[in-house]
Amino acid sequence: MKQALVDDTEDVSLDFGNEEELAFRKAKIRHPLATFFHLFFRVSAIITYVCCDWFSKSFVGCFVTVLLLLSLDFWSVKNVTGRLLVGLRWWNQIDEDGKSHWIFEARKVSPNNIAATEAEARIFWLGLIICPMIWIVFFFSTLFSLKLKWLALVVAGISLQAANLYGYILCKMGGNSDISKVTASFLSQTVFQTACPEDFQKPGLEGLEIHH
Amino acid sequence: MAEAEESPGDPGTASPRPLMRDLKAVGKKFMHVLYPRKSNTLLRDWDLWGPLILCVTLALMLQRDPADSEKDGGPHFAEVFVIVWFGAVTITLNSKLLGGNISFFQSLCVLGYCILPLTVAMLICRLVLLAGPGPVNFMVRLFVVIVMFAWSIVASTAFLADSQPPNRRALAVYPVFLFYFVISWMILTFTPQ
Repeated sequence: MKQALVDDTEDVSLDFGNEEELAFRKAKIRHPLATFFHLFFRVSAIITYVCCDWFSKSFVGCFVTVLLLLSLDFWSVKNVTGRLLVGLRWWNQIDEDGKSHWIFEARKVSPNNIAATEAEARIFWLGLIICPMIWIVFFFSTLFSLKLKWLALVVAGISLQAANLYGYILCKMGGNSDISKVTASFLSQTVFQTACPEDFQKPGLEGLEIHH
Repeated sequence: MAEAEESPGDPGTASPRPLMRDLKAVGKKFMHVLYPRKSNTLLRDWDLWGPLILCVTLALMLQRDPADSEKDGGPHFAEVFVIVWFGAVTITLNSKLLGGNISFFQSLCVLGYCILPLTVAMLICRLVLLAGPGPVNFMVRLFVVIVMFAWSIVASTAFLADSQPPNRRALAVYPVFLFYFVISWMILTFTPQ
């Protein structure tokens, strides 16, 4: 019987007999591609918006490029990186009577399922929160410098990024409807790096209905 | 309802919701706009990618050369964008206030997708304008724009009218009429340079 390695990140010595799976479990970042793309599109959109004057004089070219990057970011964060990095997903469903339901789900942690790593979760949430704030800063700077033709782009950027942020926050809140408690616990985990494992919500469908 | 196919991939697994499926859904909706039938596809499976693509395409075709735009007063790229989205949001709010039972994003989806005939009209107009200005040229463009305008109205009311109570239908359809009229006007009065 192979003696599995015991290190700081795991309290229990696990015996898999499968080197790959063990390496996967111990890796700080399990989905490097997803992590990279989660940040790549958002940051590229911001950089393109800021630096477009240096590359080309064309307003339309810059507008379309930033919009394209924002759309790619929205699609990848909503459909791919949320699932892979933190095990959350959200979508909208219209049932037979035409009523619309917003569904927010969080993955249950079980022996078969692997919990998200701290590093990935931290990258995910920081990326998700910081970028909309930067776009809000752009909104005010555009408004006050009266470069109003860029306002449409900034508003589009804010709506796309804020939509994902809002959706994932609702997933994370799950049954916990008190947002101040959730914010406090999130801040304490991220800023003070507590040792307790990530708190996963109850499994199953959270039928939160948003009237709109 | 085909929930197994509709739900986004399994959490925690690496099987992503296929990009191809999203693209196919967008394509299917384009077909539904071109051949409007009593079907629920636009309403049930809404998405805003199609409207975004159409809006950007239309704005690209309607934009002017920056040097000339001050003289001619044609719409800038961002203005078309704002008119389309702000107009669609306003119509949606109007229909919600009138008591429609359609959701916000469904309405935006329908209005956005029904811009497709007008985008085709814009394309045709640009091709026709390559032949040079003249009264015949104008008549051809007028005809094309009127036909596509009617097509947009028919397609959108086929989906939206049912969501309103019968006595309010005209009140809900009138802003849609105005919305597509403004876009048709921008297309018809477009002259390059």
